[in-house]
Amino acid sequence: MSNYTKKQVSDLVKGTLDWETVHLMLSMPKDKDRYKLYMEVLQENVSYDDKILLAVGPHLNIVESAKDQEIIIKCDCGHEFGHYSKNWKLGALIYVRDSVEKMKEVYPELMAPDTSWQVYREYYCPSCGIMHDVEAPTPWYPVMHDIEPDLKTFFEWLEMPAPAKI
Amino acid sequence: MNDLTNPVEVLGIDAGGTMTDTFFVRADGTFVVGKAQSDVDEANAVLTSSADALAHWDKTPEEVFPQMVTCVFSGTAMLNRVVGRKGLRTGLIVSKGFEDFHRMGRAIQCYLGYAFEDRLHLNTHRYDEPLAHIHDTRGVTERVDSKGGVVIPVRLHEAREAARELIEQGCKAIVISFLSSYLNGTHERAVRDVCLEVAKEMGVKIPVFASVDYYPVRKETHRTNTTLLEAYAAEPSRAILANLSDRMKDIGAKYDVRVMASHGGTISWKAKELARTLVSGPIGGVMGSRYLAEQLGYENVACSDIGGTSFDMALIVKGKVSMHQDGDMARLVLSLPLVSMDTIGAGAGSFVRIDPYSNSLKLGPDSAGYRVGTCWPAGGVDTVSVTDCHIILGYLNPDNFLGGILELDVPRARQCVKDQIADPLGMSLEDAAAGVIELLDLSLRQHLRAMISAKGYSPSDFVCFSYGGGGPVHAYGYTMGLGFKETIVPAWAAGFSAFGCATADFEYRYDKSTDIGITKDSTTADKQEAVDTLGAAWKELADKVMEEFKINGFTEDDVTLTPGYRMQYLGQLNDLEMNSPLTQIGTPEDWDKLVATFDETYARVYADAARSPELGFGVTAAIMRGSVETKKPSIPSEPDAGPNPPAEAITGTRPFYYGRKWVDAKLYKMENLLPGNRVTGPAVIESDATTYVVPTGFETWLDGHRLFHLIEVE
Repeated sequence: MSNYTKKQVSDLVKGTLDWETVHLMLSMPKDKDRYKLYMEVLQENVSYDDKILLAVGPHLNIVESAKDQEIIIKCDCGHEFGHYSKNWKLGALIYVRDSVEKMKEVYPELMAPDTSWQVYREYYCPSCGIMHDVEAPTPWYPVMHDIEPDLKTFFEWLEMPAPAKI
Repeated sequence: MNDLTNPVEVLGIDAGGTMTDTFFVRADGTFVVGKAQSDVDEANAVLTSSADALAHWDKTPEEVFPQMVTCVFSGTAMLNRVVGRKGLRTGLIVSKGFEDFHRMGRAIQCYLGYAFEDRLHLNTHRYDEPLAHIHDTRGVTERVDSKGGVVIPVRLHEAREAARELIEQGCKAIVISFLSSYLNGTHERAVRDVCLEVAKEMGVKIPVFASVDYYPVRKETHRTNTTLLEAYAAEPSRAILANLSDRMKDIGAKYDVRVMASHGGTISWKAKELARTLVSGPIGGVMGSRYLAEQLGYENVACSDIGGTSFDMALIVKGKVSMHQDGDMARLVLSLPLVSMDTIGAGAGSFVRIDPYSNSLKLGPDSAGYRVGTCWPAGGVDTVSVTDCHIILGYLNPDNFLGGILELDVPRARQCVKDQIADPLGMSLEDAAAGVIELLDLSLRQHLRAMISAKGYSPSDFVCFSYGGGGPVHAYGYTMGLGFKETIVPAWAAGFSAFGCATADFEYRYDKSTDIGITKDSTTADKQEAVDTLGAAWKELADKVMEEFKINGFTEDDVTLTPGYRMQYLGQLNDLEMNSPLTQIGTPEDWDKLVATFDETYARVYADAARSPELGFGVTAAIMRGSVETKKPSIPSEPDAGPNPPAEAITGTRPFYYGRKWVDAKLYKMENLLPGNRVTGPAVIESDATTYVVPTGFETWLDGHRLFHLIEVE
């Protein structure tokens, strides 16, 4: 088992860690401190004090609200999407690319899907406008619910104290 | 004997990443080994190491160099330049539309050289930076088909434009590699001439390499990589070797420095194709084993070389070393013939950790390398290495590690092994450390056994040679119970690679791919054509060989040419390499003789019943080897002095942990042991450069050639 510094974990998140170390991290069993360090690094990157429990996107986290200890999904900017068991996408701004013209904005002609078969749905934060996710479903498909984590078991695995309201 | 009757004749150099070894041999075979820390200026390290070696004879390089006749160099600088991507900026011109194939690395370079688990898992796959950047790559319209016919003539105005752009961008060399150029090189050569013209017009002098002039073989990724290395990595080496040669000439050397090449021969440092010397260190050991085996009459030898980071194995069968046609090195596929070797990433310096899920020991895959382990605080290592375990258990002498140049902290190593290994496993410190060594020995033993049995042989037909810095420490462990005829440890194990380099022939080898196929329906005219094609290929290669020898002032009378070929049953994937039974071919009957030789070889390598002559026969490559006579080291020969070691060889005892208990191991000084002396374990035989461990249950005796024979007595 190896040990890594917080600086190394921070570089890993930023994508600037050297490949030799990344390779070693990937090949070796995970060190015990890693998740704790990872959460600390994420926490430093956001403006709010609510404790981050799990990342669900590059700018989207499940947090324990400092206000009432509810477990909610929150954007880096502070926008709250509601309880973590609900699909956050339903509270996002949605842009659907469902025509040749809209597809042309992102792919050259003839290199994009036929929009009668497949569309792109883009989900944005209503407060800061950052893109949180893109789906590529058939046009009639319902909004996908990507992750419904079992936080209780997760924290048992981590052998870390679990938040009260899970 | 005085200097006149017994001059120092041969020098072998092994310039590794951490140590530069030199190996000097006198006419009667007596030798000295020198060591020095490697240096950015390789010539400095070589001269320091030489002074260290010659001090044993109370001599200086200035006295000795003028009398020497042979010097062979092998080093890792070129390899490091490739691995670190610190080569010459090189532009690449390819067939238009194929600009990306070089960086795609045949889709296998992303996992080449990785441990098994990392090859399986996609997330660890990664493409190294290509040798030529995509921005330094240009396509030129042209096409040659798979039979060598021109489909699209080359557009030279595009080549002109490409060359100008590449030179303007700052490329210091240009490589040209077109599809199927090994069948028809006219396009590449035309573009080469255009590039040279453009460079001249622009007033710059840069080298231009057409792949067909260097490596006219199939598989464009292999061919392109190899030709690129010639520009990217070998060009800078020329300057370094020129400097080494000059420095030696300054103090009176009269010989020409030669360099060990991957095909097992040595070539001049002035050779046109220097990329062949990319990997040479481990090959030196195999060549040394072959030479030793030949001199002493051993037919089948298993070579094993254990260093700090890896374990290299090779087989010599009936005096022959097998060759691999497209070796891969430094995570690049290459079209270089390479001495076949199996390498695993476990060595005497491998890190040791506990796998938290299975709660078991895990070795490597990384290693402490020159930083040794936790026993050397200055090395800055916090993770336990195998060396730490050796130090704790008394295998190695902490006060004389690498001749005493490093100061070791044994209590620190004990504490680290206790905290990281022994306590988590709930074992005593000694048992935990012994477990690590047993695990390493077991894994080496399994690989050695697998390599031999996978080729259809049995260890009982082989003598095992054990060398390298760590070979003598582990020899008993990785050969135990395998049933080798004998295990032999040369007293110069640590300098064995350097010795091996000095035993290799001065030999050039060139290969050319051919597409010759003859079935039972073929006519005599077809056979005539096949013979003519092969003959023409040999002629072309022989001219290249002669061109190289002429650089060193040899004439055709000095050079022995050995033609060879690779043949297969048509439709099979594997081919076999063999020497031609004929030096000249010209008639259809000659074809039948080539076939007969192949049939015999096939039956010997596989089995009589596996032969498939009904499929017809194909020649996939023409090979030409040319060599000239060189001075090689003699094997020492000393008189028998009886079984009892002299008093000056016995240096005391040391606590030594083996078989779950501490015992007192007798200590001997290797240099003072005499031929015929017998040593029964537990014993540790020490010299500055290596340590030879003989545990309880083993016995060893030194023969007249200064080879230790290790025998299992229980």
